[in-house]
This record gives sequence, structure tokens and C-alpha cells, in this order.
Amino acid sequence: MLHKLWPVLATITLILSACAGSTSQPDAISSIENENSLSGKLIIYSGRSEPLIQPVMTAFQTKYPQLEVLLKSGSNSQMANTLLEEKANPQADVFITTEVFTAYALSREGIFLPYEPVGYQNLPDAYKAEDASWVGLTQRMRVIMYNTDLVSPDELPASLFALTDPKWKGQIAAAGSTNASMQAQIASMIQLVGQDQTEAWLNGLIENEVTFFGGHSDVRKAVGAGELKLGLVNHYYYYLQLAEGSNVGIIYPDQAPGEMGIISNATAAAIIKGSKNLNAARAFIDFLVSEEGQEIFAEGNYEYPLLTGVALHPDLEPIVGLNMANIELAQVVNHFEATFDLIDMANLP
Amino acid sequence: MLKTEALRSNRRRHTTSTPKIAYLAGMIALFAVIPVIYILIRALTGDPELWQRIIQTRLIKLFSNTLLLLLAVTTGTTLLGVSMAWLTERTDVPGRKIFRWLLALPLAIPPYVGAIIHLALLRPRGGLISQWLEELNIPSTFLPNPTGFWGAAFVLIIFSYPYVFLLSAAAFRSLNATYGEAARMLGRTPWQTFWQVTIPSIRPGITAGALLVSLDILAEYGTVALLRFETFSSAIFVQLAGRYDRSAASILSGVLILLALVILYGEFRIQGQAQFTQIGSQWRPAALIHLGKRRIWGFLALFFTVLVSFIIPVGLLVFWSTQGILDHQTFSGMQIGSKGLVSFIFNSVWSSGFAAILAVLFSIPIAIYVVRYPGKISRLFSRLSQVGYAIPGVVVALSLVMLVNRFLPFLYATSLVVVMAYVVRYIPQAVRSSESAMRQLSPSLEEASRLLKRNAFQTFVQVTLPLILPGLLAGSALVFLSSLKELPATLLLRPAGFETLAVRVWIWSEEGFYFQAAPAALLLVVIAIIPLFFLLRRESIFKQ
Repeated sequence: MLHKLWPVLATITLILSACAGSTSQPDAISSIENENSLSGKLIIYSGRSEPLIQPVMTAFQTKYPQLEVLLKSGSNSQMANTLLEEKANPQADVFITTEVFTAYALSREGIFLPYEPVGYQNLPDAYKAEDASWVGLTQRMRVIMYNTDLVSPDELPASLFALTDPKWKGQIAAAGSTNASMQAQIASMIQLVGQDQTEAWLNGLIENEVTFFGGHSDVRKAVGAGELKLGLVNHYYYYLQLAEGSNVGIIYPDQAPGEMGIISNATAAAIIKGSKNLNAARAFIDFLVSEEGQEIFAEGNYEYPLLTGVALHPDLEPIVGLNMANIELAQVVNHFEATFDLIDMANLP
Repeated sequence: MLKTEALRSNRRRHTTSTPKIAYLAGMIALFAVIPVIYILIRALTGDPELWQRIIQTRLIKLFSNTLLLLLAVTTGTTLLGVSMAWLTERTDVPGRKIFRWLLALPLAIPPYVGAIIHLALLRPRGGLISQWLEELNIPSTFLPNPTGFWGAAFVLIIFSYPYVFLLSAAAFRSLNATYGEAARMLGRTPWQTFWQVTIPSIRPGITAGALLVSLDILAEYGTVALLRFETFSSAIFVQLAGRYDRSAASILSGVLILLALVILYGEFRIQGQAQFTQIGSQWRPAALIHLGKRRIWGFLALFFTVLVSFIIPVGLLVFWSTQGILDHQTFSGMQIGSKGLVSFIFNSVWSSGFAAILAVLFSIPIAIYVVRYPGKISRLFSRLSQVGYAIPGVVVALSLVMLVNRFLPFLYATSLVVVMAYVVRYIPQAVRSSESAMRQLSPSLEEASRLLKRNAFQTFVQVTLPLILPGLLAGSALVFLSSLKELPATLLLRPAGFETLAVRVWIWSEEGFYFQAAPAALLLVVIAIIPLFFLLRRESIFKQ
């Protein structure tokens, strides 16, 4: 009796696989491609907040109108794990990450295809892979922003550790445990001050009833509106909020001699090994580290461009003169497991 | 001799051997139930150390949070839904015919859109209402905190009550006047009559509505995530999206499914009873209660409910949308990669539409089998195919990611996985519609067709299908509506470039870009109203 069903099933399977084929197969493109005629699909996985990456994609798209740029954005670790999962059957062409540790870890797993973009030598060595498998784009700092209407200058917290002071109870906003910048900060702190002190700090935040949002856009808006007094953010969120006309100020924490200094990090990009549109992927990486691309990040996002010679946004404080934390990339990467353990133990939302 | 032998064997085949349709129905039930079984196995075989850690650190809080929300929302929706139904069905409150429609319309608004608006209005200091108050120099500190338990409960109540409203309104409508009159003649006061006669006879309808609401609450991700009240669904999403810890996600999902299955079982039990309201020849509608001067209060209650659950949200969406569309910069910002608004609409509509068609196609064999061959096995298949009610979107996503990777790698990273998720999750709605359509069809019509030498397939196409078609369409409208609003599974399973309206609304409003999110949200509501209108027209309370 079952045999009568086979035609039906076969048809369904056929339809399904036909549809699947039509949506998943990359367009075949000729291998010889000249710069201005890139076509087909460019699939970008991004762990960055969408509005921070869309302007540069739009500019790239204008340059190559034939190209179909497809973005999948999600949390940094979700995208990173998707890449690991797809190692045998890669779907994406390019990965953009919010922090270098993920790039480093994925490179170790052999996910990326090394590529030296145009102008590679003008990028700082600290933020590129030894084997050129990934390249840093922009730098940023972890800072505290505050609402100038609600906090007077003389009571400002001078250190990240001051955020656990009970006098700020219920008045601090931060991004939650799914946020990659937050994860990277915790991992960096483990290297800088040790696991115990980091754990104590996390528990202190929980005890201080910090409001944890899904992302930093919410944090900056909450501080900007005065819903909360202090916010733990990447520096550009302060500038973005300031540009909206809010009364906010910025604190560069842990500057005193002997303190750990500002935790900084960089966004990075890489080509996926097995990319089906290598020419487009290379052109995109070239564009990201080109003067034009770097200016978009600097102007629109207030990020520190890594390409030497690209001007900072005039409002931005130059890095020279700030006490920066001494972060060892290779070490911090090994602290990620401990980071997630700490997050779970502290029950960070 | 030969003939009677053939006849007898024919009859025997009919009564003892399994009909062909059973195999098809069985395979569909299997398809529907595999994700649940897979997750349960993954959960049970999870690392005991991890289990212990989860039990110690999270389980109690998640359990109490989830149950508390469940209790509050079902109580709230029951109170609100039943009183709205009572006002529109049993009293002479002015405008009740229009209110019936308006009260059902919030079904077109996904609760997370409601939550976005709720937050935009009520955020302390940052919210629109608090800003207006500040401009008027009124301190806004008296405003309640919009987040957390009360915020989530409030939003979920005002966007879920229509389920209870529709079911209890139908029950009120079918009330027989004679029962109430008998009670009054036996000396009961109107108040006693209400509690002792009216309520018991509409109770099955209310309970069924409340249980469906409970299952929805267990599955709800967007609202609780946005309002920061952690339940199982949002905790699982965090595990998947933020840490990609599938073992922990599987364990939490296993517990959540068990909880949902208990509720679903209760719902199955009540389902049979819900049909006891009978309309015989003796039936005549109960007389309306004249509210007299209190009519104005009834009217205000109806109006206020509609205001909060429909007029304000949609009004605000329209306002933001015009702002967003008029502002060139925002409008050009409604672009992700190379994809724009048209592509979001297209993706939403085709994926939901395809899911609706598949779900209804799959539901037909189940419906035929359970209605034409009633028995333990057919009922089991029918119930198994409805297990999707108990699998929240995040759990469907988790199981499909693992299953597709393992067994159907050619489907990986295609939009068909998203469609599959919708089918698994919403096929129960199609099964119920198809079953009730089949039940209304007398088997004698099919038998007549068979006597006229049509084979089973011809009979189905020429007789059964045209007659059950309205029921099938209703089922597909329901699946379409639900799929359109689905958020967590779409977020987790979509391939690059596959952006739906729901996904865009969510991501943009998470970033706080309400002007960008509003047109997508408004379109979502407008598209949802189309199948909703079609569905509501079939409801008894909208027929005069």
C-alpha cells in the first residue's frame, strides 16, 4: 500500500530540493573578472550592530551595482559558531566581527582564507593576523558615559571597579551577556586583573542592580534620556548619543598610574575559506581598509580608523596620551571559556 | 458464492485492515512529532553535570518566572475576554456590533510590536508619555515601570485576550434562553443565575481559550526579551544566540516542552467538552440584559480596551511610518545589504503562504483518517500532529538546526528551513480546521460517490474537497497569520539576505530606530488583517 505514496513523496522531495537548489546555489561567475564588473552574490556574516555596518555596505554597493550584497547579522558568537558549523559547507564570503578575539579563534580553526588587502602594510601589526587571515578595521575603547544633568563632575567614577560602589545602585546601564563587546571586556579583565577579581566585579554589578540591555544602543539611549545615570559602553556610543543632542559626558576609566588602563579592542574582517565569490570578497575587504571605507567608519561611527593617515573625527580624543591596558591577544583568547563560566555563575542576563 | 466471498472480504478489509490513508497520516504525525522527540532525547542524554548546574543556578527562577507570567496572563485574559464578550453579546451596550470586530483586531498585532510601542510610550524619562508630562511640568515618577513582570503581563494580556473573547462570545451567543429562565423561575436572582447557569455553560469555551493563551505565553519570546522578564523561551534564545550553547539550550527546551505538553494534554481533554453547547429546535437566544444608565460604563470599558489594544498602537505606527517615509534619510535607511522593503514583504508573504499551503495539505490525510476511521490509533495520530502547539519557536529552531544539519544537509541555510519551522509549529491549527470541516461532511455523500464507481481519489477530488474547501482555507488563513507574526525561529533560522517584516521590525526597534521599524510593523499588521478578516467572518458571532 505504501508504494502508492512514493510518487507523492518523490514529488514533494523534488519540489523541496528544487526550491532549495534555487535559493542556496551561488550564482556561477566567471573567474576572470575585472574590478568594475563584480556580480553575483556577496554573503556577509556580521556580528556588528547593523546600523554601524550598513553605511559602508551601501557605499560599496554603489561602487558595484551589479553585485547583490546579502547580510546576515546576529550576535557575534552566534555568527562565529555558525561559521564553525559551516566549515565543511561554507555559505558566507566575508565575516565582520566586533572584536579581534573571535577573529583570532576562528583563524586558529582554519575558517579564514588569508588575504593581504591593498594597503596592508599601512595597517598596524597589533591588529592583523600573522598569516594575514584576518585584518583589523577600526579601534574602540570601553568607557563609561554619564548623564551630565544627573551626575556632577566631582562624583564621577574613575574606574570600572567603581561601578560596583553601592552609591550607584540601580543607576547603571550595561549590555548583557550576549553582547560580544561585553564578553571581550570580561575576557580581557581576566587577563589583566585575574579571574577572582573579575568574578567579584561581575557579582558586584549584579548586586548593584545594573540594568542589562540587549545592546549598546539601548544603553546610550537610556543614559541620554536620563533613565539611568551611568552606562558602560564602547566610546562611539557616547558620541552617537552626543550627536543626538543629549547631555552626556565620557569617562576614560582606570587612568591613574598602576591602574589597568582602558580596555580597547578592534573590529575585524576576514574572507571565509571556500568563499564562492572570492573576487567580490577581496574587493569588499579592500574597500573596508581603503581610505574611503575607513573614513565612513571614522565619520559616521566615531571609530578610530586603523589605516594610518585617515583623520579622526574632530570630536574624538586622540589615543595618544591615554593609559591603554596591555592586552595580550593570544592570552585573552584562551580566557573565553572561563568568561562564559563566569557569566553563567554570576547569572548575568 | 464468489461474489459474497468478495463482498465479505471487502467488508473485512474495511473493518480490520489498516486503510491506506493511515500510513500517510502516520508519516505526517511522525514528521510533526520528530522535533519534540529529538529535543527530549537531547535533553535527557545531556551531561548530568550540566543538568545539575542548570538546576542549581537557573531552573527554579525560570520555572517560577514562567509560571507566574502564565498565571497572571491567563487570569487577565480570562477576566478581560469574558467581560468584553458579555458586554457585546449579552447586554444592550451601544455600538456592540462594531466592537465585536474591533475587539478581535488585536490578533493582527504581534505582541512584540505591542511591547515595542508600550516601551516607547512608557519608558521612564525616555518614553513619549513621560516626555509630554515633563513638558507640562508634571513629574512622571508616578508612571509604573514598563519593564519586568507587570509590563510583560500587561502587554501579553492586552494582545492575547481576543482568543478568550472570541471563544466565550461564541459560547454566550449559543446560550439557550430557557436555562436562564428556568433558573429565574426557581427563584434565583440574576446574579445567582449568572454564576450558577451562565458561567458553567460557557466554561468549556473559556477554559479552551485560556489554555491556548497559556501555550502562546510559553512560546512568547519577543515581548519577554524586550521587557526583560526572563522566561524559558528567552533564556533558551540567549543560550542559542549569545553563547551558542546547545547542550544547555536543549536541557532548558526539554523542561519547557514537558511543561507545555501538560497544558496541551489538558487542552485536549477540555476540547471534547467545549462542544457541548447545543443548539436544538428548542433554542432561542437569551434576552439581552438592559444596562439602563450603566450603558455608558459598558461603552467606556469597551472603548478603553479597543483604544489600548488597537487604536493607540496602530495610530502610533501610522504616525511613525509617515515620519519615517517623509524623512529621506530614514527611508533610504530601510535597506539591508541590497535588500529593501519590497523584498521583506515578498519574503514574509511567500514563506507564510507556502507554510500555510503545506500545513493544510499535510492536515488533510490526518483529518480524513481521524474522522472517517475513528479509533485509538487515528486519535493518537491526530494528537501527535498537534504537538506543535507545545513547541515554542526557539525550540523548533533549535531542533531544526540540529536535524537539518544531520539528515537534510542540502536544505541547510535555505529559506525552506524557515518554512519547515512554520509548518511544524502551526500545523496543529490546520489539523483542527480540517478535522472540523470533515466532521461536518456526511459520509453518505462519499459513499454515494463510491457507489457511482468513483475511486477513492476521484471521490476526494470531486466530492470531499469542494465541500471541505472553506474549512481548509480557514486553516490556511490561520497558519498564514501565525507564520507572518512568527519571530524567534525566523531570527535563528533565516539564511543571509532572507529578511522578513517581523525580523526587520525586531532588529530595527532593538536598535531603537522606531521610524525605520514602523512602516514594516504597520505593513505586518495590515497584511495580517486580511486573513484575520476572512477568519472572523466565519465566526458565528459575526453572522447575523
